[in-house]
Amino acid sequence: MSEPTRVETPDLRPPEAQPRWRRDFPIDWPEDHLVARRDFTKFLVLTSFAFVAGQLWIGVKSLLGRRAPAPGAERIARLDRLAPGEAMQFAYGGEDALLMRLPGGELVAYSSKCTHLACAVVPDLERGRIACPCHHGYFDAASGRPIAGPPNRPLPRIVLETRGGWVWAVGREVST
Amino acid sequence: MSTVPAGLPELISEHGPHLAHRTGARTSSEAEPERLVDTHCCFCGQQCGMTLKVRGNRVIGLEPRYDFPFNRGMLCPKGVNRYLQGGHPDRLLTALVRDPSHTGGFAPIAYEDAVRRTAEAIRRIQDEHGPDAFAVLSGASLTTEKTYLMGKFARVCLRTANLDYNGRLCMVSAAAGNKKAFGVDRAANPWRDIPEAEVVWISGANVAECAPITTDYVWQARENGARVIVVDPRITPLARTCDLFLPVKPGRDAALFNGVLHLMIENGWLDREFIEEHTVGFDEVAASVREWAPARTAEVTGVPEPLIRTAAEWWGQAKTSFLMHARGIEHHSHGVQNVLGAINIVLASGRIGREGCGYGTITGQGNGQGGREHGQKCDQLPGARDIDNPEHRAAVAAVWGVDPDELPGKGVDAYEIFRKIDRGEIRGLLSICFNPKVSLPDNAFVTRALEKLDFYVVIDFFLSETAHHADVVLPGSLHEEDEGTVTQVEGRVIKINRAVDPPGDARQDWRIVQDLAAALGRPRGFTFDSPREIFDELRRASKGGIADYSGITYEKIERQKGVFWPCYDEDHPGTERLFEPGSWNPVAKGAGPFWFPDGKARFNVAAHAPPAEEVDEEYPVILTTGRVVSHFLSGTQTRRIGPLVDQYPEPRLEIHPHLADHLGIADGDWVIAESRRGACSLRAQVVTTIRPDTVFIPYHWPGRRSANQLTVSAQDPISKIPEYKVCAVRVRKAEGPAEEIAGLEPQQG
Amino acid sequence: MVPDNAVFAVDPSRCIGCEACVHACAECDTHRGHSLIHLEVVDRSRSTQTAPMVCMHCDSPTCAEVCPADAIKRTADGVVQTARKPRCIACSNCVLACPFGVPKMKTEFDLMMKCDMCYDRTSVGKKPMCASVCPSQALYYGTLEELERLRPRSRPTHRFRFGEQVITTKVAMMVPPDGPEHVDVAAALGAGPTGRRESLPIVGQDV
Repeated sequence: MSEPTRVETPDLRPPEAQPRWRRDFPIDWPEDHLVARRDFTKFLVLTSFAFVAGQLWIGVKSLLGRRAPAPGAERIARLDRLAPGEAMQFAYGGEDALLMRLPGGELVAYSSKCTHLACAVVPDLERGRIACPCHHGYFDAASGRPIAGPPNRPLPRIVLETRGGWVWAVGREVST
Repeated sequence: MSTVPAGLPELISEHGPHLAHRTGARTSSEAEPERLVDTHCCFCGQQCGMTLKVRGNRVIGLEPRYDFPFNRGMLCPKGVNRYLQGGHPDRLLTALVRDPSHTGGFAPIAYEDAVRRTAEAIRRIQDEHGPDAFAVLSGASLTTEKTYLMGKFARVCLRTANLDYNGRLCMVSAAAGNKKAFGVDRAANPWRDIPEAEVVWISGANVAECAPITTDYVWQARENGARVIVVDPRITPLARTCDLFLPVKPGRDAALFNGVLHLMIENGWLDREFIEEHTVGFDEVAASVREWAPARTAEVTGVPEPLIRTAAEWWGQAKTSFLMHARGIEHHSHGVQNVLGAINIVLASGRIGREGCGYGTITGQGNGQGGREHGQKCDQLPGARDIDNPEHRAAVAAVWGVDPDELPGKGVDAYEIFRKIDRGEIRGLLSICFNPKVSLPDNAFVTRALEKLDFYVVIDFFLSETAHHADVVLPGSLHEEDEGTVTQVEGRVIKINRAVDPPGDARQDWRIVQDLAAALGRPRGFTFDSPREIFDELRRASKGGIADYSGITYEKIERQKGVFWPCYDEDHPGTERLFEPGSWNPVAKGAGPFWFPDGKARFNVAAHAPPAEEVDEEYPVILTTGRVVSHFLSGTQTRRIGPLVDQYPEPRLEIHPHLADHLGIADGDWVIAESRRGACSLRAQVVTTIRPDTVFIPYHWPGRRSANQLTVSAQDPISKIPEYKVCAVRVRKAEGPAEEIAGLEPQQG
Repeated sequence: MVPDNAVFAVDPSRCIGCEACVHACAECDTHRGHSLIHLEVVDRSRSTQTAPMVCMHCDSPTCAEVCPADAIKRTADGVVQTARKPRCIACSNCVLACPFGVPKMKTEFDLMMKCDMCYDRTSVGKKPMCASVCPSQALYYGTLEELERLRPRSRPTHRFRFGEQVITTKVAMMVPPDGPEHVDVAAALGAGPTGRRESLPIVGQDV
């Protein structure tokens, strides 16, 4: 049997006889674009519907969420637990938070959910900031304000009180 | 005193060699060039055309230059990487003065101060010891305008006889041989005659690594049916695919050519008509080769007899042919004899001066041809004239506006200049485009001589190893920072175009020379405003001489893509092929095509003599030296270019497995190669592609890695070229690198 | 688009190992300092033989076939492009699978890089850098007519056999005119250098 002049498929069978996945993932660039275009409209409709549904759901959830009671006072840690420059994680009102003693001695605490896309932030007190590793966002450690990267809104501050030899979380500042 | 002012590590840390690499990917418009400048490569004599991409005052890359007929866009790795010299961290941006208290041993000073100090030193030395006590060493990688100016500067301004150049290490054997045989020193044929040759004979030329673009010409000849004969002690990349390889023992080339001529005569493979009509001296030469029967030739040359017979048969019976040779046969204490032997078999075949019938030496340096024509040799005046010839002196003196008696007489060759320095006869030195501490043989002697100088001034753009000894360094220009002409391997005069301006205090070399003349109070004749003005005077000074450039202009060069000399007037197109039957030349004046009064070429007896230093019990191995493709000459430039150093970081001792086994050396082992003069520390490369009685070291590295610690300074009595290609060494395994280099990067020393 | 009549031909026997092609490739602005092609040294201890490795731009590109991230694409003119950075996961499947040994994994970038026939030049009618500079023209780029005129003693082939598998390529390899239909790589694996053997009369064996 004579061999074909050009070997265009590994099993030597013609393109029409090839499995479906070859057409879905073509090597040739022009064909690749064609598939995308055909499906693009489908994709657009489906995704925009998904966004609308998602927005409605978030809206409903936050309406419901408002009627839930704000978290009360919760005890976090002993006053002398943290030296300047140290930090610890704690939970407040069911959410993760960060307690830090700034190099100057002041105690601050924030929700550790990044205001960009909700990744967990990490303290970087040597440089006086809190960093989000996901998209390299940074917040000022003293104020919680965003100083670099994608986040636009400050980290929600948790209000602290000293009672006896302990640090208490007594409320959360809501950020819009 | 010109001892080195700081330890080597400190000198290297301040002044390099450091490596420049291509900078990272660019996708912004910064990557777009603003201008394209057509010019040529700064390195070897092939002078490939190339186009530089310029943005602001930087060369940011290159484009192949497809329209230049010699190389049609082709380049070797050196040409592709050359622009990385621009903006280099080691670039000399200011004049320097020797100052051991300053880090690196040199302190920056104002350019004018440096010039003044130099002039004062020159005056002091010449007043006290005479004009010849100050010497000038120039080089052949400068434009012809600058080589012309250096010659004029030495003779008219400094009035010293002691001028020579680095081509003494390169082209002088070929020059002397060609002059004795043809009366003129230039490639006889353009390279486009190579593809028409039935037999291409290459002796002592590593074409693939030293003249890479010629490879395509040779392959094109093969495509047309040619057979390629290569004579070399090593199987170089082009030799690998040749049709007949003759593994000649180093130092025996004249014997081989004599053996071939013997067989040509024995079999009647001669062009008797040509010999009769166009040559003299055949009978004497024929008598001299009678003793070179194949058996004797085989014994002396180390080439098996059947190979010699086949070579003679192919060469003898071809209808067209091209013979080329390079330093492999010329770098010998009888290099001129070797060249004469090669020319003898060309003349005996009658195959010269016609299409497809060619001969030429492969000039090594960028302007090795132009740089050996216009007066920077110790015995030469512009136009390839002789400094001892009264008519020639008068002609040039008239152009220079001086009395012929004011011109000094013949000087001595570059190595003899160092001997004179050693003896205290020469007290001061100016050098440009020369790094003798790396490139001269027995370089321990060169270092001792340098240390005896009262004053040494260098013009350069990097601080070379020799410049470590300088009292003053003047910052010169890179190839792409100046304009001028160069004469490439075929004898074609081509144009180098300026792409950028010199940085900092650096300036074009010709301006520096003129500033020195002014500071010496002798500015007359050194007030050119541009290279074009220098070239116009050069044209007048060369008129009527052998290398006649008088009809060449910058515009004609651009229009014709180069003009072959001689070119007698503005209407003359140039002379592409020499020695054509019926051609006119200024010496024969129509009597014949060759450049003697009778118009006939000369056969010269090619006397075989053994090398100056034969092997013996103490030093039983032959050392031959040479080059690698990614480095150029003493490496001052290429050892600073990252990609070229990556390709060949360190020298390797090529050694055959039989010899290596005998000495207990494995591939990659550190070894010491020793001669009577020094010891070289490097790693072995065990290969079957070299004669088992010979080892090879490339010479581009300095210090303890330098091959020239070992080589012998024996010189050819006629050309004074040193015998780089053969001396006696012994090799032994070492524990590791020599102490001095253990802490250095390989390109540093 | 690369012109239809453009032929890229490789003649490894002409290669002199100078690496001008490798350096010229690294000049490209999009991957400056990193060459997409490389030089193979066959066995320096026995020979100076070298071969330039450019992508052969196969008709059925194995690299693209085995890529799990669909990162290797081919343009309509048949040029198989290098791996697309957003998609490549640096798994090295292509490096292992290519029968010619062309793709290289650049671990510093987490990206495979291979020759794309100098696409930024060839797609606008210019010659690739490597074939432009090659001083022995082991790498040739031009028309078929010119190739045939310049190389009467060899002919281009586009077929290679690796064991049972046949590969056809866009890039040609120059072979002797009366040789077989395809380059049989497996058969060539054990071959030594060709040429004549001569023993040298080395005087004094006790060196």
